[in-house]
Order: sequence, then structure tokens, then C-alpha cells
Amino acid sequence: MMRAGAVALACGLALSLAAGAAAPACNLVPGWTAQGKVRSYTQDNLFEYMDGNAEGYLLYGFQTMQGVTCEKGGATLVIDISDFGDADSAYGMFSATHDPGQPVVKIGMSGQIVPRRALLVKGKYYAEIAANPEGDYSSTLHEWIAAIEKTLEGSSDPPATVAWFPAEKQRSLRLVPESVLGIGLLKRGYVAQYDAGKAFVVEEESVASATALMGKLRARFAGSSPAAVADEGFQAADQYLGKLCVFRKGKYVAGYGNLADGQDGIALATALAARIH
Amino acid sequence: MNRESSRRNFLAAGLVLPAVASASRTSGPSPQEAAPLRPSAPAFQYRTLGKTGLKVTSLGFGCMITSDGSVITRAADLGITYFDTARSYSGGNNERMVGAALKGKRDRITLSTKTGGRTKQEALDHIDKSLSELGTDHVDIWYLHGKGKPEEVTDDLIEAQQIAKKAGKIRFAGVSTHSGQKELLPWLAKNPNIDVILTTYNFTMEPFMNDVIAEAAQAGKGIVCMKVMAGGTRGRGASPVISEKLHRDGALTSALKWVLRNRQIATTIPSMTDMDQLDANLKAMTQPFGSTDEKILAMHLEHITPFYCRLCGECAGQCRQGLPVQDVLRFATYAEGYGQFALGRERYLELHPSHVQAKCGDCPSCTVNCPYGVKVAREMARAQEMFA
Repeated sequence: MMRAGAVALACGLALSLAAGAAAPACNLVPGWTAQGKVRSYTQDNLFEYMDGNAEGYLLYGFQTMQGVTCEKGGATLVIDISDFGDADSAYGMFSATHDPGQPVVKIGMSGQIVPRRALLVKGKYYAEIAANPEGDYSSTLHEWIAAIEKTLEGSSDPPATVAWFPAEKQRSLRLVPESVLGIGLLKRGYVAQYDAGKAFVVEEESVASATALMGKLRARFAGSSPAAVADEGFQAADQYLGKLCVFRKGKYVAGYGNLADGQDGIALATALAARIH
Repeated sequence: MNRESSRRNFLAAGLVLPAVASASRTSGPSPQEAAPLRPSAPAFQYRTLGKTGLKVTSLGFGCMITSDGSVITRAADLGITYFDTARSYSGGNNERMVGAALKGKRDRITLSTKTGGRTKQEALDHIDKSLSELGTDHVDIWYLHGKGKPEEVTDDLIEAQQIAKKAGKIRFAGVSTHSGQKELLPWLAKNPNIDVILTTYNFTMEPFMNDVIAEAAQAGKGIVCMKVMAGGTRGRGASPVISEKLHRDGALTSALKWVLRNRQIATTIPSMTDMDQLDANLKAMTQPFGSTDEKILAMHLEHITPFYCRLCGECAGQCRQGLPVQDVLRFATYAEGYGQFALGRERYLELHPSHVQAKCGDCPSCTVNCPYGVKVAREMARAQEMFA
């Protein structure tokens, strides 16, 4: 029996590798059977599965998705595993879709399990499970997420950038795929929301491009004043981004925005700069 | 009528609307009312959202991919009045962000969200969660999300909308659709329970879209349009080079202007992620669609036409060998577009054996005429060679 299960699992994995993305198999967890065929989607037809929501996936570099619906005793699990091309993008998708108000689970790079929904990110893969009908499926979802995690290849270490943001009073941390802080010049980067203010880190291609970006940002925020932070910095005030402190360290452009009165932008930025390496 | 010329006519003169549709409106799109908020603000066009009577700016805001609430806040401050989100966007995080961004402005904006709930109870659970996340006691429009066929708009879901309406949680009921408009919009036009229709609409679409939109508007439905930039700089085939070119040529604002000139449409909800996009769209809103825009869009259409299979299904049944053209082109895209050769070949080999063995080169000429101008014979032959 165990051998048959192992063979089935191996077949499932072989299929997943052949298809270029990890295909879930219902027999990963005993007692569950497949309801219907494996679903496959690419950038071209993801909208057939999730309509307008597809754009959110594409923004994070979605490549392919394979999914299956499993059932057991009247309960169904809709399981989808997406390939985002690289670990940073997959983690970015997770960072945007998990509920920052709920705890995360230390599995793979990260995971989250709530009564009817589970998320997992590992390597370039992002897995989602939705449970039906109404009920608390937490223990089932734990079991499934643990099983799926074992089938996924790739790193279990979150992107290094994540650790650069101070954890204290951090409400959320996410990868913004375009227009960080709503500024088109800041193309892609991480943003952490704090009880007061938000921090960001954008990686440019080179020191030269980061330096050029700083020049454009200074020009954008009229009335900015120099700030002695890392390689170069400035402070400014904006109607929507409030009190800002922006700096460059090597090829990274980072800083804080929407700081509250009394918060020392330069001190916060200096501390953030010290963590960037 | 030649399909290609039909499509070009849609682009060039697609808004020569039936006179009766324009003339007989009672509460449909109203004449332009320019109302500058202050000297530095754009002159907004306000239109009436069908029989709801809601006055909305012709440029609305699709919040789905917006990451920073400051862009939404600024849009509201500048005078945009229509904002759209959905329960499912970013796992619910989008509604939370939109709610925070519009805090204190609720009484002067029209707010819509959507439910993908499949049952009455699931949908009703969604609206309660949406209201909580948005920080409001009601939304103005609550859409059933992404319906492609009349049978997907079930009595159960309509009942959920009616219950929510009676409870004061929503003011108006809507349906959003990305596909199947030819059948769905006329059906929705006749459905007395539906107040507003949110549909994909852009310059790349078939001419029938004008007819079904006119029919729905004439029936008093409020028409809201999305995907107005035809995928814009995101999504399939949007390489950085093409994106840059689109921006440079002004194709995105031309596409928006193309939609806005249709007076049957009350508002549009392009996605905006930064202040520059917001400013560009505000500018487009105030400018008429002209011959330069027409040329830009024609060039863009020319560029995407040869390879852009829109999966419309119009080619079904046209091949004399009975080949499923749309499927084969999709499998080729798996392989060529996304480097998933194994997946593409696997799907290809699952076709009927006679289809797998068929060769387009055996036919003297191709009988398949893609309404969008995709070079079907060439693309099919390439797929057959690739997967052989």
C-alpha cells in the first residue's frame, strides 16, 4: 500500500516536473481523491480561471499554474500551485495576498493558515488552498501544506531584503511590483507599514542608476533639504507622503514616508541604512 | 463583410451609434458637464450611471493593482468620484487599503466592490466582510464578479443582492463580465434586478460590443468599463520594450480616449499605480479622441494582430480538417511564449489522434479567418512542426 502510494506520488511529481510547474496530487494526503482533472493555466489564459484577479498575479511575474480539486467526505479543497519564475516574485505574491492581521506559519519561506484558506511559498512556487463548504479546516490545511511543502523544490529562506526592515511595530511588509509609494520612478521594491510611517527599499541595477534616481526624486520633491544618511540623502514634505527621508546606499534607494510628528526621519533612515548590505 | 475590415471600422468609426440608442435615452449618459473644482484641477466630465441616477466622473479608478493608497487619496482629492475594488483582490488586502485611502471621503464618492461567492450565503458573508474592510456601512454598487454566461448569474446570487439591498448594505446591484458579452449583455439588459454592468471594452474588441452596450444603456443599465487600455503595459505579451513604446507613443491615453468618446458609457476604471498615470489619465479625460489617436491605435493594433490570439473562439469549426485552432495556438504559446514546451506538447498530444497527425501544409489554402488577423496557417504549421 505504501509502495503504491509512493509510486503514485512519484508519478505525480514526475508529471509536475514534466509540466514545468508543481502539480498537486490528491493522494499526497491519505483519504483524499481527485475531483475532475488537473487544471493548467499560463499567462495567456489565467483570466479564464480568475477573470480580473489574474492581473494581480501577472504583476508579480506569474508563469504557470497547476491546480486540482480534492474531496473527502463532502469537503473539497481547491489547490493551486503557481510558478512565479523566481523566489523573490513568489514571495512577493505571498506578501501581497496573505492577511497581515493573521499569524504566519514557519514553513517553506512562509505560510499562513486560516480556517478555510492556506498559503505557502517556497522557492519560486506559491501554493493556495481554499476549503469548502463553511467550516474550520485548520488542521486539514496544516496537514496539506506540510505535504505540499515537501514536494516543492527551492529555497526556504525569505528574500534577504525582508530582514532589513525593523520588526518592531511593523503591521505589514510586502513587495510592491511597480510604483513604490505611488511613485512611478520607484519601480519595484519592498514596503513595510508601521504603526506610524512606512519604510521602503528599492534595488536599482547599479550605483549609477541609483544615483540618477536620487536626482530625479530630489527634483520631484521641491524644497527638499540634504540629510546625512548613508551615501546621500534628503528630507522633504509631501501632501500625500507626509514627512519623508530618502537615502541611497550603494545601488539601494530607501527611506521612510508618512512619518508622524515627533518621529526622527534621519535617525530611522540611518538605522535602516545600517541593516542594508 | 470582411472581418478584418469590420474590425478596422470599429476602431476608426466604432462609435457611430444607432441614432435611436442615443436619442431615446431617458437617464442614460448625459451631455458633458464640465465642472472645474479649482483652477489647477482638471475639468471633469460627469455622466449618469443609468437609472441609478448616480453622477460619476467619466474617469474612475480601478484599484485592483494599486499598491499605495496615496494615489487613491489624491485621485479623490482631485475630483474622481468612482472607485472600484473586489473582495478577492490581494486576498482581501485591497479592500482594506482602499478603505483606508478613502477614509473621510465616503460621502462624496461612489464605491463599488464585487463578490465571487458561488452561493447566496457565501456572497452575503462576503458583503459583510467587504463593508468591514472598506470601513463603511454600505457600498453603492455590489457586483457579481466575472460572469460569462446568463446561467452563472444564478437566482441564488440575485437573491443575495436583493437581501443586501433591503438591508441597506448596497444601493445597487451589478454584474461584472470579461467574456461572453454578446449573449450576456442583452440578457442583463432585460434583467430588472441588475442596475449596473461592468464590462471589458476597448479598441481591440469586436464591433458587436457597441450594439450590446447601447442595448443595455437604452434599458437603463449603468455601464462601467474596464480593461479600457486592452491590457496596457501589463499582461500577456507586454515586454518592457513594447511597454516603453506604448507609453512613448501615447497609445494608453489614446485607448482611454477611444472608450470615453462613447457616451453610452458612464465611467471607466483603468488601473493606476502611480501619480504620473493618474495625471496622464486625467489629461486624457479632458481631450477629445482625434485622428492622431486613431493612427496610434491602428499602429498598435497592427503590431499585436499577427500573434495575439484573443481566445475568442470565432475560429471554431472553420478548419476544413476540423482542427481546434484556438487550442493548438494556446499550446504553442505555452511552449514559445512561456518556455513550457513539455506542457504545450503534453496538451497537444492529448488532442484527437487525427488532429495530432494533421498537417496544415496538406491544405492548398487555409479556410480559417481570424477576426483579429492572426496568421493562423503560419502559426498552426509552426506548432505542428514544433510538437511533432
